[in-house]
Amino acid sequence: MSGISGANGAVAPAVQPKETPSQLAVREAEFAKIVQPFIADTCMECHDSGTRKGKLNLEPLSDFHSVERDRPKWEAIYDKLRHGEMPPKEEARPDAAQLRSVTKWLLGQFDRQDAAAPPYIGRAAPRRLNRSEYNNTVRDLLGVTFMPADDFPPDNSGYGFDNNGDVLSLSPLLTEKYLKAAEKVARTAVFGVQPMKPTSYTHQPWYIDFDTTKAVKQVYDETGLSLPYALHVMHRFPVDGDYDLTGFVRGFKPVGADPSRVAFWIDGKQIQEVSVPIGPGGEMNGLHDTIRTRVSAGDHWMAVSLVKIYERLPVAYGAPNPNESTQRVGKSPTEHFINNLIVTGPFDQKKGPTPESLQKLYRGAPPVGKVSPARAREIVSDLAHRAYRRPVSKEEVDSLVKLVDRVQQDGESFEEGLALTLTRILISPNFLFRIEKDPPAGVPVAALSQHELATRLSYFLWSSMPDDELLRLANDKKLEQPGVIDTQVRRMLKDPKAFALVENFGGQWLQFRALESHTVERKAFQHFTEYTKMSMQRETEKFIEHIIREDRSVLDFVEADYTFLNQRLAEYYGIPGVEGTDFRKVTLPAETSRRGVLTHASVLTVSSYSNRTSPVLRGKFILENILNSAPPPPPGDVPSLEDKEIGSTKTMREQLEAHRAQPVCASCHVRMDPLGFGLENFDAVGRWREVIGKLPVDSSGELPDGRTFNGPLELTSIIKTDKMDFVECISDKLLTYALGRGLTPSDRSAVRKISAQLPAAEYRFSSLVLGIVNTPQFRLRAPAVPKT
Amino acid sequence: MIITGKHIPRRHFIRGLGAAIALPMLDSMTPPAFSQAAKTAARKAPPLRMSYFYVPNGIVMSNWTPAAEGADFELPSILKPLAPFRDQSTIISGLINHQANALGDGGGDHARAGASFLTGSHPKKTGGTDLFAGISADQIAAEQIGQTTRLPSLELGLDDNRVVGHCDSGYSCAYTNSIAWRGPSTPLPPETNPRLLFERLFGDFDPSVSAETRARRANYRKSILDSTREETNRLLGQVGPADRHKIDEYLTTIRDLEKRIEQADASQPVAMPDFDKPSGIPSDFSEHARLMYDLQVLAFQADITRVATMVVGREGSVRTYEQIGVADPHHPLSHHQNRAESLEKLTKINTYHMELFAHFLNRLRTTKDGDGTLLDHSMIVYGCGISDSNRHTHENLPVLVAGGGNGTLKGGRHVRVAENTPITNLYLGLLDRMDVRAEKLGDSTGKLEI
Repeated sequence: MSGISGANGAVAPAVQPKETPSQLAVREAEFAKIVQPFIADTCMECHDSGTRKGKLNLEPLSDFHSVERDRPKWEAIYDKLRHGEMPPKEEARPDAAQLRSVTKWLLGQFDRQDAAAPPYIGRAAPRRLNRSEYNNTVRDLLGVTFMPADDFPPDNSGYGFDNNGDVLSLSPLLTEKYLKAAEKVARTAVFGVQPMKPTSYTHQPWYIDFDTTKAVKQVYDETGLSLPYALHVMHRFPVDGDYDLTGFVRGFKPVGADPSRVAFWIDGKQIQEVSVPIGPGGEMNGLHDTIRTRVSAGDHWMAVSLVKIYERLPVAYGAPNPNESTQRVGKSPTEHFINNLIVTGPFDQKKGPTPESLQKLYRGAPPVGKVSPARAREIVSDLAHRAYRRPVSKEEVDSLVKLVDRVQQDGESFEEGLALTLTRILISPNFLFRIEKDPPAGVPVAALSQHELATRLSYFLWSSMPDDELLRLANDKKLEQPGVIDTQVRRMLKDPKAFALVENFGGQWLQFRALESHTVERKAFQHFTEYTKMSMQRETEKFIEHIIREDRSVLDFVEADYTFLNQRLAEYYGIPGVEGTDFRKVTLPAETSRRGVLTHASVLTVSSYSNRTSPVLRGKFILENILNSAPPPPPGDVPSLEDKEIGSTKTMREQLEAHRAQPVCASCHVRMDPLGFGLENFDAVGRWREVIGKLPVDSSGELPDGRTFNGPLELTSIIKTDKMDFVECISDKLLTYALGRGLTPSDRSAVRKISAQLPAAEYRFSSLVLGIVNTPQFRLRAPAVPKT
Repeated sequence: MIITGKHIPRRHFIRGLGAAIALPMLDSMTPPAFSQAAKTAARKAPPLRMSYFYVPNGIVMSNWTPAAEGADFELPSILKPLAPFRDQSTIISGLINHQANALGDGGGDHARAGASFLTGSHPKKTGGTDLFAGISADQIAAEQIGQTTRLPSLELGLDDNRVVGHCDSGYSCAYTNSIAWRGPSTPLPPETNPRLLFERLFGDFDPSVSAETRARRANYRKSILDSTREETNRLLGQVGPADRHKIDEYLTTIRDLEKRIEQADASQPVAMPDFDKPSGIPSDFSEHARLMYDLQVLAFQADITRVATMVVGREGSVRTYEQIGVADPHHPLSHHQNRAESLEKLTKINTYHMELFAHFLNRLRTTKDGDGTLLDHSMIVYGCGISDSNRHTHENLPVLVAGGGNGTLKGGRHVRVAENTPITNLYLGLLDRMDVRAEKLGDSTGKLEI
């Protein structure tokens, strides 16, 4: 990166010389020739000092120097012109070539101004670790995996992400929980998980209705997993151990049928199948069975299903593989389902510290017998070094070692002393906060220290602390040598820990994190089961993971003709030939209209209401998260749509058109609504549909600039044409996430610069990340004026 | 294989310690048995408790406001569940929450309604960098009388707080998540998980550790907090001036924690109640609500705190209530456009919330406390910062006060206050009864006597 000197030194950022007076004269002439007449002809009718439509008066912007003086206003004008929002639809369209030359000149001028100014750095407040970062950090520091931060109060988010330094505040409750977690984490690392008494947790399906259809199926999912009668849940197991799993059945089975076969599954693998006989009259209510199995600590996907639900029925049902019963057709074969899963445990809990924790604590063999002061010091100093993510001073180590001594003097073991010292480290502000030092007084801007840079990198890509390799490079002051950062970024993106980027960046950018708490109207969407929901989230996660891991083009996000499906989701999408619970890469058939994340069921669902789609929400989603042009918030007192009329007399389109007739609404909705309508073929849970109620779906739209489309594929191709808008959007979002602060107008040139480098790099994900890592924003630090 | 018939256990908890002893979270002393603690408490004059329940998205006022004023009125449908507690409830009409209005800030009535309800302050419109509202009524109490109990206050809620992005028209989610504000920039996030609340109230007791070891560990804890405070103080001098406020925030909370540990050491130890330790957030909303309400009652009963807030739903909540036949998400539904069907569904939601609240009141009333019941010694405010959700009006708010207030509250009435009386005036009147000195709260103009 040009202009940034090596570590620790004050830096002189490369600033292009200001343009010479003669160059400026040329610019001024260009402005007079290209921009001024266009504005005068196209805009002034409404935006002169007299009319001031939308309170905008363009008269003060009529001279060349206003482009620098009133830069934010010119940026806004540039945006409006570029998106075709202005002039409004009722007015004549300006000549396309003329319009292009105006926007091109403006952009060029912005860039020239930026190149001549010192680089903008901005700054984020010292960030405390958020919940996900805390969990990952104690995992990587100590091998402790019980995710203690899940008990912390939720982190607020700002600018779309929950790693925003300004909004990550501290409450007394959080500090209390920090102390409690520190004690528990330290003891778990040193002594292993505390013995727990068994407890029970009952899972219930979010909803299921009796399916009383008598018809039987010859071909269906025999595992029962993708049928709505199964129960799927995510369960957090606190510790390795044996657990009892109890499945309860509810409903009725045909009299004369063989006993039900109930299967227990963990992470898609069948653990055990049990046989549950039928009660008198076919009643199954309350029948249950329990199995005991060993499970490792952490989150596991648990399922209980009814296997081969159409088999071994009385002959009269005409189902496959009947039994010999001569009973007449009575109850439906599907009028029962799994009603509860109760998880009880742990039993026979594993004791003692894990090998991972021992390795992280002692970096070798755990101590036997008396620990020499030198060895104790070595252990403590290594832990503090990693926990504080920087070299530690002699004084810091002294005070920590004193704690170990004190505990031992009280007659306790070395391990007790170590546990206390660890607790102390884990409540240190140097652990809980990512602290960066300001440049020395009088130095306007400085490169981050090697350790600060390593820390920024690792929390950006891993949501966790730097690993040994990063720390070693920082210790050896090699991180900023040519090529080293590039190599490290590529290495880090291949590491499984980069999944944090999928969950934390992807989950918030595309908002599929919201799926977990998303509910839908159950009567209308019976097939939207927990399993469906989990599968939806998994699809998008797998997809993003693939782009990161395989270093694919970021354009795949909007145009990929492939995705990741299991049987459940494939059936949901109507794509044949995918069987079983595992996700695999599937090429989307030409005839499906699904391309890219906008047509993932996850995104389509979170951008809908619980009972219907909303072209407005979806349009807003696209503008905000794909096209980088978020609309301003709506004015108050906005009436909602008449739900009941949708699909009966008035279509949503008719209602929204009436709404757009109001000028106050029109300015934004003229962009938002058509985009959303392009996805109307997907219902509120992302399934394909041709009709809404009685009326056929109309998924055509016209953008403010006059381009029209019909259906999701044509919408996708418009987004593809405007791909630089998307590239700037993802650069903007990822930079926000990387810096942990909201971007300001002054960051725009950096976003444009990152984006501009992508076409030459085939839009590869790694080049986007490198673009971000190489911005002055990421590499430099400037002192800020304190808040007044 | 066991056949249990039709009954499926709703909860299936393994019994925890039962009535055995337990420890407050950060305490190390062995507490006496529960009955003994209760006896000790009974000898003193019963303390007064204060709690605020917030329900979201307005109320169908035509089914809330009694037609008549005074003592002779009929309970409208939403208030019907209140019938058994009528003699200890006052319905108050006419209060306003002016600070929730736009006042030039445009959209965002929901965020403002939640954030101003207990603060009487106009929240600053921001996506998060510079939150600003005001101290809330409950926190004024916590500040002044909180040191008498182990926890100064409890902030509770039923809504999942995992929210993505802004919550309302450019307002940070903090404004809708929290109604309790410790200071203008410090919203207090509510605890929503009954298990964590239980652990916070009654501790995570490890019976294998001897009293002596426990005492020693408590000392260690104090000393590492002490050195962390010193370290944080030193750090304050090393970071840039703009970064200091964040570090200072941590310093403040450490001091706070140290103070509270001292307080806990000095105060009456809390015994483990005969109550199953919850294992998490129940999937059923009613069960979740009842559990959280029960735990609040336990906290009052054991005098762990005297001040609490409960966010039944955050403003703008899109919860669906299929268990009572309302599949529509609450917030969009609340823009009812006066359609009969929407109003009927909203009334169902409002009534359902009231039924759950009645459960809470019933628990208070059936819990003996000194010479009376907990309800006699409580002041519970229930309400919303929006009246008509369709237009986001912040006048004529739905508010009621339940409890005897140690004999200072005369229930069984519907009162209408003078026009434009800020709701904060009501709070000042209640704080007065708790001997909490506060002359001003947000936009208050005096103390409301009811």
